[in-house]
Amino acid sequence: MTDLRTSGALAVGSEIAEPVRVMTMERIKWYEAGMRAAATGLLTLPHSNIHTDEEYAKSQGLLAPIADGMVSTNWISSMLVKHFGIDYLERGELRTKFIKPIFLGAVVSVRGRVSAVARGESGGLLYTLEVWCEDEKGVKLTVGDARVAMAPRA
Amino acid sequence: MLGGYIHDLEAGDVFEPIEYVLSPFMCSEYAHGVEENGEWFHSPQTPAGRQLRPPTMVHADKMRLLEKNCLKEPRLGGAKSPHARIHFEYHACQHSPAYVGERLVVSGRIAARYVKRERTYIDYEMEVRTSDGRLVTTYTDKTLLKYERDREAGND
Repeated sequence: MTDLRTSGALAVGSEIAEPVRVMTMERIKWYEAGMRAAATGLLTLPHSNIHTDEEYAKSQGLLAPIADGMVSTNWISSMLVKHFGIDYLERGELRTKFIKPIFLGAVVSVRGRVSAVARGESGGLLYTLEVWCEDEKGVKLTVGDARVAMAPRA
Repeated sequence: MLGGYIHDLEAGDVFEPIEYVLSPFMCSEYAHGVEENGEWFHSPQTPAGRQLRPPTMVHADKMRLLEKNCLKEPRLGGAKSPHARIHFEYHACQHSPAYVGERLVVSGRIAARYVKRERTYIDYEMEVRTSDGRLVTTYTDKTLLKYERDREAGND
């Protein structure tokens, strides 16, 4: 049996993180292709849109192509999978807000901080976290919160 | 209004649901596309012995609903709106895992459409269930319908 969970109990104030990543056009196109594969069952090339096409992005008032907000959301979600395992998939909640665009070349750190730990209705721990992505200057790009109700442990 | 463009959607519109069988390819390609290397999403090496759906794949379900209900704008087929939309907020609650091989039913509606600071937003409400009724994911989503400011739209 495989268990992806990597951490034990987390205290209020504990921080979790993902490896730092640079936003590249390849990453933007990987997401586009993956989303289309999930939605169609087919492997297709990414289409022209504000994420992939500089000319179109500028025609829409953007400075340059921007990453889909689901890229940073997925990086945050992966962090939750690693730390909370099946409990996140069974009783997890994630909210993200895309407060600033993520442009090509941005150096993105994915982080979380435990803001509360309580005893859930089932008797397991209920974690609440602040989650976010920030650039190399510490400017927050994506912000949100997450909750995971852990199953009671023997 | 259903059947037109995505920017035609109005508060109260109820999407015609979609159904599909979750395949290993869908889960693995999505996970690969977002650099999610957890083996659970790529093979049956999981506690239940069945490959799992990445929890964020509910966003791809939104695209399926739009493809079926906004016939003039087949975005998955490459159609572009005259005005670019911006996804602004994602909010998913997981109630149970979905496994490869399960038939999923996705339903949803437009909960609100409103103008705020000269820009028009819509709020989606969706849920994903297995075909035997088990709740998998509930989801809300806020999307800006047009990035460029619409001067005639007024303020909030």
